[in-house]
Amino acid sequence: MTLASLVKPQDTYSYGFLDGHAKRELRRRILKAIAIPGYQVPYASRELPIARGWGTGGLQVTLTLVTPQDTVKVIDQGADDSVNAANLRRFIARMSGAHTTTDTHAATLIQSRHRIPEEQLTEGQTLILQVPDPEPLRYIDADMARARQMHADTDYSPIWLVLYEQLVRYRRYVQGASYPSMVHHRYVMSPSPIPRWDTPKLHQAAHLTILSAGREKRLYAVPPYTDVHPLEFSDVPFEVENQDGWMCFRTGARQQFMNELPQADGSTRYELSDTGYAEKLLTHPQAPSDTYYTEGRFYHDGFLKPPRRLA
Amino acid sequence: MAYVAVKGGEQAIQNAEALFHRMKAQPTAAFIAQIHETLPYLVDRVMGEGSLYDPELAALAIAQAGGDLFEAVLLLRAYRSTQPRIAYAQTVRQDELFTVRRISATFKDIPSGQVLGPTLDYSHRLLNFGLLSEEASPAPEIDLADRTPADSHYPAVADWMRANRLLPQIEAASEINGADIPDVTRDTLSIPAPRAHRLQSLARADTGGVLALGYASMRGYGMVHPTVNELRLGYADVRVPHPLHGGYFNIGRVRVSQAEVVTKDSASFRAGFSATLGWNEVKLIAASTLDMEMNAPAHPAHTEDFVLYHTESVEASGFCIHFKLPHYVTFASSTDAVRGAQPTDAVLEDGQTMGGGH
Repeated sequence: MTLASLVKPQDTYSYGFLDGHAKRELRRRILKAIAIPGYQVPYASRELPIARGWGTGGLQVTLTLVTPQDTVKVIDQGADDSVNAANLRRFIARMSGAHTTTDTHAATLIQSRHRIPEEQLTEGQTLILQVPDPEPLRYIDADMARARQMHADTDYSPIWLVLYEQLVRYRRYVQGASYPSMVHHRYVMSPSPIPRWDTPKLHQAAHLTILSAGREKRLYAVPPYTDVHPLEFSDVPFEVENQDGWMCFRTGARQQFMNELPQADGSTRYELSDTGYAEKLLTHPQAPSDTYYTEGRFYHDGFLKPPRRLA
Repeated sequence: MAYVAVKGGEQAIQNAEALFHRMKAQPTAAFIAQIHETLPYLVDRVMGEGSLYDPELAALAIAQAGGDLFEAVLLLRAYRSTQPRIAYAQTVRQDELFTVRRISATFKDIPSGQVLGPTLDYSHRLLNFGLLSEEASPAPEIDLADRTPADSHYPAVADWMRANRLLPQIEAASEINGADIPDVTRDTLSIPAPRAHRLQSLARADTGGVLALGYASMRGYGMVHPTVNELRLGYADVRVPHPLHGGYFNIGRVRVSQAEVVTKDSASFRAGFSATLGWNEVKLIAASTLDMEMNAPAHPAHTEDFVLYHTESVEASGFCIHFKLPHYVTFASSTDAVRGAQPTDAVLEDGQTMGGGH
């Protein structure tokens, strides 16, 4: 026996790239995350052949869960053909042999950076969100040990104070994406930098969402049918982005999340952010699928309250 | 080529990668071997930050990445991720290091002597234009007449200091089981960090990052004066248990370096330590200073979070370059918030939001 015979050949990789130990660790962490919704579970987070901070957290989860029978969709800012989404999809397919798709309904695993598709996800689907910063308290206290203590104590008063100060200063919440949300009445989480438009989609969702930060080595989950409430005072409701009157120049769609495209002549055009959905509208306009919002109304009646402006 | 292609993102990235390689010469196996032989300090730096000791693969990574060191380190780390842990090597004690350079700034002479060894410290930094001529120039001669070889092994200066009650006593280390040592590549780095994680993080930290924070600590944000108690370059035998017959056997030597610095508190000395794969003196002096100062009164360069997280080469560089990725959805969310904001008299400064800008 030689040392060389004890190690595998230099130029081959395990199924799904990660070795068995790494996958076992990830599976255990994922189970723990599902068992404690919204709680950030630390994990070792291996380096992958993709730059750190480019979706390696989501990618480790996808590579752990993927099987040859899976169909994988990867989106970045809503787009399937964005360069980094294309690159991650190519890598997942290369390492797993799984099928890939741009159709939200056809996918069993959806890895996404900063968007949740417009079409309602269903039971059995898993959404994997890439997370740059898992800690909603980071802005309040960069010290990780103190932030952990605040979560343990459910001491979220500083976040409420930030929201209160926004109201005092601007008469509304001025938080952009990454809107802090309470998961099942226990942990405040960052839903990742999805727009506020997407945050309510996590509430009582039929699908499983796993959020994973590779650089920060934390993952957390929103299991199916879990309450997720964007933080709001009872008298000043949370609001999604206001895109009233915007129409997709390619599909004619309205009341879905749009990209704003500045034009050379100073005007603006709009297009659907969700390219898979746009493709469907263009190819099968007669068979509309169920979306989370229909004509601006969210599918859980009463969950989003009418805006109320402070005088 | 479009940045977010309407269609054809996959084709675009493949072409972009091909273009990167076409805009430089392709490395050959001979060139890679030359990197390994002629640029050992570069190879050492990449192996240290990559935390994988394999000069051939490090040279390959450097060549493949066109000399982009962050990319080279990531290549090694990603490869390292795929490697199983087949054994834990035996602990290497300082007096077992095959030492080629060993200096101390704390005493004029030290037990067993100062050994200058290989260094450019006292070279005149003049470009050697002769190297540009076609002929390969021979390495300079070393005058060995009347020289007795230096010892190959040396005691630790710190042992003398402890014996003389200048440094706090430490308990004699019992036999250490390698599997019991916390491993920062297999566990999350959580703060406060076990000392093993601290030293491992510093060992694989980015050289420039460690230098910047270490220098800040030395210069004006700490004012610590790290006196180099002992700086060593050497080779460590890697001894692992035999899988069949038991007992330990030697599988080779790795280049290692270590630094220990001391500073005086009011009436006592304390020490900081760091070591890494490969020879990298500036990193180790900075890193051992940070090791010494990380428990000092608060300044960012003195806190574990700040130092260990922000000197992580692969994470820092990866996150920094991720800002090249499209961010238009999150930007749209911010645009909406800005358009809807109605500043009141209470606005005294920029409004506070919670990290929505990713």
